[in-house]
Amino acid sequence: MMLSMTVTLGTVCGLLIAVGSNATAGNDPSFRPAQRDYILACAGCHGIDGLSNSRLIPRLKDRIGYFVNFPEGRAYLARLPNVAFSTMSDQQLAAVLNYAVAEIGGNSTPAGMKPYQAAEVGKWRKLPLTASLSAYRQGIVETLISRYRAPASLRGYGDDAYETDR
Amino acid sequence: MAWMAAPMLPLLPVARSRAADPAKSDFERNAQTADATACTYWKYCAADGVLCSCCGGGSHTCPPGAEPSPVSWIGTCLNPDDGRSYVIAYRDCCGKPACTAGKSCWCDGADRELPTYRSPLNNDIIWCFGNASATYHCSTAALVGLAN
Repeated sequence: MMLSMTVTLGTVCGLLIAVGSNATAGNDPSFRPAQRDYILACAGCHGIDGLSNSRLIPRLKDRIGYFVNFPEGRAYLARLPNVAFSTMSDQQLAAVLNYAVAEIGGNSTPAGMKPYQAAEVGKWRKLPLTASLSAYRQGIVETLISRYRAPASLRGYGDDAYETDR
Repeated sequence: MAWMAAPMLPLLPVARSRAADPAKSDFERNAQTADATACTYWKYCAADGVLCSCCGGGSHTCPPGAEPSPVSWIGTCLNPDDGRSYVIAYRDCCGKPACTAGKSCWCDGADRELPTYRSPLNNDIIWCFGNASATYHCSTAALVGLAN
């Protein structure tokens, strides 16, 4: 039952709906396969357009692209628990990562970004980040800030009051 | 031929229904598009909770005084009218005590969910955890777009 459980943050992916919830059958947007898979698997938390409730969940819009600037950051995205443990195939997962980085990442994505390949994703998802994830992320982020011009706000999850209050 | 000698046993209604379209879930075989206050309404295939449409809200809108959760479960439901699958976001409405609607408004849709130990794919969740108040009031089902 809905009322019988509570949620441990970080274990559940949910979503911020950013499109017309009043849409009715017969006049509805359609999605490309990778976009649809992103919506079904990730947008619950991260938002259809990558705008999440960043008090709790990292914002992806104009931010996720920074992570592919160097190999460890690139691997980090594929090693995140809900990515690595996804029920999607390596090929589907690579397409979703490419969609998220190339299209949701916006200006954060470096020019000439090399797309993820299924074999690469398959390799990294065998090494899921299941311990000390926050500390590991912080190490990645500090590298992105010091070497790849990522904004200091990347230390938090997004641009909101929660972030500036900490 | 041997099979002609076999008795012609009548199929139970459930078995007959499954035989008609084994690809459909139990929910999909009974889904309807007319009554949004019934658990069989097509968008509620993975709705888990009390329907906001029974509590002063709509199928995708919160009742006055309740706030939609910023996070939600997302699934897909088959619309029986056009036979197409749609992406549905199940947002909870939060900030008020649980709605006291009748039992018929308490739904337990489970299409495409996995057990609790696969929590990102399980819908037994109070999605109000992202709200100022985590108090659960009722559940909505917002249509996002076509799934295929």
